[in-house]
Order: sequence, then C-alpha cells, then structure tokens
Amino acid sequence: MPISAAEPLLDITGLSAGYGKIGVLHGVDLSVGASEVVALLGPNGAGKTTLLRAVSGLLPWSGHVHFAGRDLAGTTPRDTVRAGLAHVIEGHHVFTQLAVIDNLLLAAYDLPRGERTARVEEVFALFPEIAAKRHERAVALSGGQQQILAVAQGLVRRPRLLMLDEPSAGLSPVLVDRVLVVVCRLREAGTAVLLVEQLIEKALALADRVYALARGSIVLEAKTGEPDLPQRLEHAYLATAPSRTS
Amino acid sequence: MVASIVSTGLAIGCIYALIGITYNVMFSASRVFSFTAGTLGMLGGVLGALFIARLGLPLVVGFVLVLAAGAVFGIITEIVAVRPVLKSLDQHLYVLSTLALALMVQQYTAIEWGTEARPFPRLFDIARGGFDQQYWLPMLACIVTIVGLELLYRRTLVGHAFLAIAEDTFAARALGLPERRLRMASFALAGVVGGLAGFAGGEMLLAFFGNAPLLTFYGFVPVALGGMGNNRGAVIAGLLLGLFQQSANFLVGGIFASVAVFAVFIIVLLVRPEGLAGASAQRRV
Amino acid sequence: MVTRTAELESRGADLRGASRTIGAVLPFLALLVFGLAFPLFGGGYWGVIATRACVYWVLVAGLNLVVGFAGQLAIGWVSLLTLGAYTTSVLVAGNATPALHPYLALAIAGVVGAIFGLIIGLPALRLRTFYFAITTLGFATIVTQVALAWQSVTGGGVGVAGPIFPRPFDSQWGFYYLCFGLAAVCTWMTLNVAGSRYGRALTAIRDAEVAAEASGIAKPHLLALVFLFSGAVASIAGGLFASLQSYITPDAFTLDLSVLFFIAILIGGHGSILGPLLGTILLTVLPEFAAPLVAWSTFLYAVLLLVIVLAMPGGIAELLDFKNRRPLESGRAIVPRPELLPRLLGGATNAGALTLHQVALAFGGVHAIDGLDLEIRPGQVHGLIGPNGSGKTTTLNVISGYYAQQSGAVKLNGTALPLLERHRRAHLRIARTFQTPRVVRSASVLENVMIGGTIDGEATFVESLLSLPRQRRDEAMLREKAMLALATVGLERLAAVRADRLQHSELRFTEIARALTLRPAFLLLDEPAAGLSAEEIGRLGALIVAIAKAGTGVLLVEHHADLIFDICHHVTVLNLGKMLAAGTPAEIRSHREVVNAYLGG
Repeated sequence: MPISAAEPLLDITGLSAGYGKIGVLHGVDLSVGASEVVALLGPNGAGKTTLLRAVSGLLPWSGHVHFAGRDLAGTTPRDTVRAGLAHVIEGHHVFTQLAVIDNLLLAAYDLPRGERTARVEEVFALFPEIAAKRHERAVALSGGQQQILAVAQGLVRRPRLLMLDEPSAGLSPVLVDRVLVVVCRLREAGTAVLLVEQLIEKALALADRVYALARGSIVLEAKTGEPDLPQRLEHAYLATAPSRTS
Repeated sequence: MVASIVSTGLAIGCIYALIGITYNVMFSASRVFSFTAGTLGMLGGVLGALFIARLGLPLVVGFVLVLAAGAVFGIITEIVAVRPVLKSLDQHLYVLSTLALALMVQQYTAIEWGTEARPFPRLFDIARGGFDQQYWLPMLACIVTIVGLELLYRRTLVGHAFLAIAEDTFAARALGLPERRLRMASFALAGVVGGLAGFAGGEMLLAFFGNAPLLTFYGFVPVALGGMGNNRGAVIAGLLLGLFQQSANFLVGGIFASVAVFAVFIIVLLVRPEGLAGASAQRRV
Repeated sequence: MVTRTAELESRGADLRGASRTIGAVLPFLALLVFGLAFPLFGGGYWGVIATRACVYWVLVAGLNLVVGFAGQLAIGWVSLLTLGAYTTSVLVAGNATPALHPYLALAIAGVVGAIFGLIIGLPALRLRTFYFAITTLGFATIVTQVALAWQSVTGGGVGVAGPIFPRPFDSQWGFYYLCFGLAAVCTWMTLNVAGSRYGRALTAIRDAEVAAEASGIAKPHLLALVFLFSGAVASIAGGLFASLQSYITPDAFTLDLSVLFFIAILIGGHGSILGPLLGTILLTVLPEFAAPLVAWSTFLYAVLLLVIVLAMPGGIAELLDFKNRRPLESGRAIVPRPELLPRLLGGATNAGALTLHQVALAFGGVHAIDGLDLEIRPGQVHGLIGPNGSGKTTTLNVISGYYAQQSGAVKLNGTALPLLERHRRAHLRIARTFQTPRVVRSASVLENVMIGGTIDGEATFVESLLSLPRQRRDEAMLREKAMLALATVGLERLAAVRADRLQHSELRFTEIARALTLRPAFLLLDEPAAGLSAEEIGRLGALIVAIAKAGTGVLLVEHHADLIFDICHHVTVLNLGKMLAAGTPAEIRSHREVVNAYLGG
C-alpha cells in the first residue's frame, strides 16, 4: 500500500467559470487519474460543457487546474493540446468542406510531416469506417460518422487525457456502442478519459468513477461499483437542495 | 470599338475582382469586412510608381517590395483595427476602426505623394497598341491569384487551416490550431492580393490617392453580388461589373455610367441582400 | 413617524431629481449664453468659424439620431448637405425655375432632403451594416457627380452662387444669429426626442433589437421617421452652408466632410446630445488652432476616430458621465414587493387562454416541435421543461412570433396569432424575457424599463420633437409606471444606474420589470433562473406566483426542475419536440418516463 496516493493526472480545485457576467461554475473540485475513465453527469444547464471548456482553455476561469503536474493557468487550447490534453467539443464539429484525411491532418498541425501522417494512419486503424472514406469531404459523412471523426481528431495527438463532450448525442445506439468501445480500449492503452454523458447507464457501465454536477457545483462523487448509485443520482438531479455524499 | 470596351472592361473587372478577393480573404479569417481593401489597391499603384519610377529600383525588386508592403499593411490592419474590436460587445466597431485606418493611410498618401494622379511606369518595354500590357497585366494577375489561391486552399495544410478557421473558428481553436497566427497570415495574404491588384492595374488607374475610395466601392460590388466570402462569385461579378461599366461609359458617358452602376447595385442588393449566389441568412434569437 | 420619514425621503428625492435635471441642462444653457454673446468678443474671422460650427451642428444633430441613437452607420450623409446646398442655390438663382425667395427655397430644400433621406436610409432595413455604410458612400459620390454633370442647372464644375438671406440676416452677424437660432432649435428638438419614448425606442433598436420588437417597437416605421427628420435638417444645413460659402462647387462636398460629421458623433458618444455637440464644435475649431497642420486635419480626425474606437468607445459622453462613476453599494440584495402587482397590472385581465394546437416546426430535417398542444390560462403558471434540444425555447419563440410554425395554430382567446409579427405581440399584451438579458447597456435601468411601456405612449413623433403637452404627459405616465415596476421587482434604488454596471441577476429582474410595464395578459419567461443564486431563485419564484395571482398567465421555460415543481400549476414535459407528459407537478415528478428522459435511460 503506498503511503501517499499517486497524484492525479488532472487535478481541479475550486474552479469557477462563466460567460461574461453569468457565473456557471462555483468552486468545482474534480480529479482524473492516469488510465482512469471518469464520467461527469448532470442535468442540462449544470455546467458540464463549461467545465470542459474551462479546462481546455476555451474559456477564462479562476481556481486551480493542474495537468500532469503542470499548472494550466492562462494556457490556450493550443498549449493544452500540446501538453497532452485533448477536448472533443459537443456537437460533432468537423470541417465539412475538407476531406476526412485533411480533418485529421489538421488535428496534427503542429507536428512534423512524417509524424503527422504516421499518427493519422494510427487513428485510421482504430476507425475503419472512416478510413474507408478518407478522401471524401466530411459533409458526405452521416452524423454518426462525423462524431467518430471528431473523436478521431482528438486521438491523433495520442493524448494522455481525452475529454469527450456528449459523444452519444444524435447517434444511433449502434454507433454509440462503437464510440464507447473505443473509449474502453483507450483506457487499456493508458489514455485517461473524462466523459460527459447524458446516457447514464452506458456511462456507468464504462466508468471507474462518476461525478454529478448540478447548478454549478459537484453534488455527488462515487465509484461506479457502489450499491445505491442510481437512486443517489436521481436524488442529485431532481432534488431541491444540493446534497453532497461520498 | 467593341474590342476596346471588352478589353478595358475585362481588365478593370479583373482589378475589381482582385479587390473583392481581398475583402473576401479578410472576411473569411475574421467574419468582418475591412475598409482597407480599397486602400491596399491604391497603395499597390502608388508604391509601385514610387519604387520603380521615382526611386529607380529594378522591376522585380519593386514588385516584391510592393507585395511585401501589402502584406505588412494587411497585418497592421489585423493587429490595430480588427483584433481589438473582435472581442468587444459592440459588433459594428470594426466598420469604424478599419475606416479610420484606411483614411489615415489615404490622407498620408495625399499629403506625401500629392493629390494629382501620377503616371505609373511602363513595366515591360513592349510597344503600345493592340492587346496592350495595361489590359493583360491585370488579367494575368487575376488568373495567377485564382490559381494560386486554389492551390493554397486545396493542397496545402496552411490553406486547409484557413478554410477551417473560416468555417468554424471555435472548433478550430478547440482543436489546437493557432487561430491568431492564422488570422494574421490571412490578412497578410489579403494584403498581397490587394497590392498585386494595384500594381497590375497601375498603368490603367495611375498612381493616384483617389483610387482608394473608388476601389473601396467598386471592389466591394463583386463581394456583395457574388456572395460574402465567395471568391468565384467575386471574379464573375467583377468581370461583369467591368464590362457593364465600360459599356455604360460608352453609351451614356462617364457620369451617368456611375449612376447606372450604382443603381443596378442597389437594386440587386435590395432584392437579394445575400447576393446573387449567396445563401439566405438565418434569424437567431 | 413612518410617514414623516417617507415624506422627507420623497422630498429629498425630489430635490436630488431637480438638481440632476439642472446638472443636465446647465451645459446647454452655458453654450446658449456663450453663443448669444459671441459677437461681443469674437472677431470677424472667428465669426465665420462659429457660423460654420452652427451649420454643421444642424446637420449633425439630425444625423446623431440616425447614427448615435439608431446605430445606422450612414457614413455618406454629406450627400444631403450637397443636395440641400444645390437645391437652395439653384432655386434662389432661378436656373431651373423662376427665382424663389430664400426662405421658400430653404423650406423646399428641407422637403427634398426629407424625401432623399428616406430613400438613402431605408436600405438599412434590408442590408447588413457594412453594406449599408458602403451604399451611403456610393450615394455621396453619385450626388456629387450629378452636380458636376448637370451643367445647365448646377453650373457643373464652375458652380453656382449661394443664396443670400434677406435682412437682418444678410450681414455677417445677422447670418450668424440665423444659423445659431436654427442650431439651438435643432438642439432643443433632438433633446426632446432623446427624452421621449422615440429616443429610447431608437436605442433599443440599436442595442437590443429583439427586445425592442418584443416591446412593440416597429423598426421600419421608426427609422423612416428618423430618416425623414434627419434628411430634412441636413438639407437645410446645406442651404445655410451654401450661403456661408457664398459660392459652391461640387468639390466643396468632399468625403472628408462626411467623415467629419460622422466622427463628431462618435467622439461625442452614442445616445447623447451634448457629446456630439461638443464633438462638432471641437472638430470645427481644431484646424484653426493647429494652423500649420490644416493639411493634416483629416488625418488627425482619422487618428482621433481610431483612438476613440479602441480606447473609449463611449466617447465624450462617457467621460462626462460623472454620476455613473460613483461606486454602487456592494452586497445589494434584490427584494421584490409582490404586493404592488395589483396596482401595476391594473386588475384582472379578461383575455381568454393562449393555446397551441398541434403546432409543428422543423429546421432542415430536424423536428424541433412535433405536434404540440399547450394551454396557458390566465392566473396560472405553466411550466415547460425538457432536456436540451427538446424544443422548449423554440416553442416560446413560436408563441412570441420569432418563428412561424409550419402547421398547427397558436391562438389567443380563439383568434389565431398572426405569423412572424413579433412586434405586434406587445399590442396583444404578450410579453417575454430572453435567455440572455437583452438591455440597452448605455442607458439607465429606468430608461430600459420604460422601453417596456412604449406602446402605451400616445404622442406622435412631431409632438415629441416639439415637447407638446401630450408628450410630457406620456413621459410622466411612463416614468411612474416604470418606477412602480422597478419597485415591484425590488430594484428601485438602482433606477438611475447605467445598465452595464448591474450584476447578471439584477439584469434578469430588470427584464422582468420591463415586461411587467407592458401590463401583460401573458408573460413568457425564458429560463429566468439561470445564473441566479438559490435565494434569488426563491424570490423569483414568489414573484412569479404573485404575477399569476394578479391575473396574468405565465409560461415558464426552465431547466431548474425544483423551481418548476415549486410554483407551477401545470407542467408540460417536452422531449425531442413532442409532449412526453403533462399534468400537475406531483404527477410529473413521479412519472417514470420523465425521470428517464432527464436521466437519459
């Protein structure tokens, strides 16, 4: 038994963020360990997307965020990507006017050319369904395939932590399972995942730990094996007063 | 007579089209239009005359310097007049900041270079007449620009990055693309195109500070008619504009030609505000 | 004891209000006195400058309503100066018609200017900002070119003599007093408009167009009035300009002049009369002080414009806004007073129910709303909840007229609501708030709330220009109603504060106050609890319940399930555009499917 627990890969304490005058997150504490899959659940408007955007540098924030021992204060999305933290934003935003392969090459913009093509081929190996369409423009892909492409973009840089924002949104159940299988394999390969999801049961099946976010604060933190988790989640979502249980 | 109208019309149409492309490249990178596009065209002519005729520099050196100056002015536009106002809550400040910058440069030119139109040097030592270089230089510049941009956007990573930023800035940023650097590069590129337009059209338009307001307006017509950000539309619209203007010149005379162009422009815009080729805008609450 | 304190308080407030008004009027009085006395100490040369400043201000005062208040970037307005100058001169000289008397010529120029102001300005309704700016520049060039070409009438490049006004205005100082008088009248008229519902409506169009429409403000009608007025005064300024110059040629009307007018307004700050007035004086006088730099004057104007845009977009007006520099008290709480609602809303409304019947709307291939039935009854709070993308806000937008349903009907009291006429919803007493508060940031909280009552004003534009009694009655009525609305939501202490200084939660309640000023029969609330603290949500809930009790029917679109369950009489749950469940909160809460939809099973 180690005397002190290993330092988490992503360590967030007291994070507050918002849009202009509107404060959305109020002092959030959250951590993700290396090779861990953590699910972030919560009702709409709770601030889950805001949290991811703050961590990856798309929004200004206050508080403490450390990634792989490095303080992320004042970093831009470009810096966080280079540090090994990838963020696949909600809504499968791919560049529709560009070919599939060009979408992936752009994700590796900063890498030297040889490495770039090698990484892209790696990702194509993970997702044969888009490899088959590599020279087609992204606009020709279905919504589900575009989402897979977006996830693939996140993986090109071999990130240590991949943040996925509602990857199942708008996908058929078959494709949802496809994406989640990949998430599983990522964990085996040593990549940590922070997964924001609406499909609670699927997320719980996959994750090691779960957080619930409501009205801008963490209201629940638990390991997925724990007994009465579904009831506690329901209570957290629909309760009138926030309850913090661990 | 018809040949003259056609060659003049196409040549000047190419200049308008290139300024339209300048507007479009700036627009694609930042979602705003800049008043400095016409000024860039003016600078192309004035600086070309300055470097080659006044200072006696060789043609190639002068040409490269003009393009460099265009790139620099493009970057200045981005840093001074566009970037600071993109963050602001007031969405229309860019109109004023780019107008101010354009005016500053125009006035400075008027004071230092003078308010009369000076001749632009003859670039190639070929005799005048027939299909003269003042006609085919702008057309050549236009073709080179279109082909060059096509290659850039379709074949290079940087070009793809430009397209990505133009389509979805937020996604591009989240992916880790260097958004600010790419925007500056886009504006530099726009500056080069604008400078090229002025340089190639120098013999036709002369080195004249008053070209700036002229090109600001006539260079925008292709954008308005061809659709925002649509370079192909800008080229077609620019050529049509040039031909229409020259025909009107011939048929009803200079002054009323301008009135005719303007009238057609405003009628088309009122009927189809998004241009002849553009998609209709969507309301958002 | 309590009444005595209240009496003293209100008297104190009256005195403060009076001193505020004196403070606002003082600069104008000072300028008036200075201007009247000017001939006593100014020499002949400065007399010309002063006259020119007055003439410019006549144009800028009108243009200020277009650019500073309505936010329409009409850069090429010098075209109207040209038009007025030539019309007046040509009519007086008798080149095209028998020679007319200068006053008559000036009046005709005003009419011509009004018509052309409308022609040049109306494209603003269809075109984006930059496109409109460019078309006004195009007009300016065209007018000058026509002046150049129409030699028989305008004298072409040679020009035409300007009109000379009859005694006593034919001497230098006489003419000065004529221009000064007109400048003073224009100042007075534009001040009147600024302090009327028209002025507020213009700023609403500029800064919060959707909120303006929801308050019943019809943009085309309002802009038309402003373009007519602005065109007329610009043209009259042209006639005066021609007289001042004694002789006009087309190249007197340069682009530089147009830019000067524009910059004067921007330096002055939008939404202000004093600012642009000082700006005009500054820009007219500046070249005289910097004599060797005269050639550089336009360059310096452009530098000034750039500096203002980048560093101080609020202009001189913001610099002079001393009362908004005073710090606000920290830790302010919003304490609504629902007991004031019956007085504000004026008793039970007798409108019937607001119903949706099988409403459907699809965007592209996505069914945003898919056959929805809904009924909002007066006196009740109806909650609308559902996951993201379920169609809640779309439903609200259909009811308030921002989207048109593709099938089905939205009816008020049995009569179908006209499609897409969002500015007419206010007349039907349907009010709404927005997901992100839409307010005029540079106006005070009270002015923002008064916008809500715009359609209850009766004075016409002309009456407000001339500050006739009906206009003043309107203002008193609107002010009182807005103050009452602010007191109801608990923000009356912040009435004079500029809106951009408020916290987010205060802006939300300001929007509600604005909606209440309309005395709505139906109130549509779009996620009002977002960004509020738990305590504020509680107070919001109590306020909404009281609003319903006073007779208004409330539709509450929300994410905060707890607020919904607390205060709603009926709840409809949407999922993917369809109604998933409907009933009382208790029924919904235990409804298995609803829980699953939220939890995403």
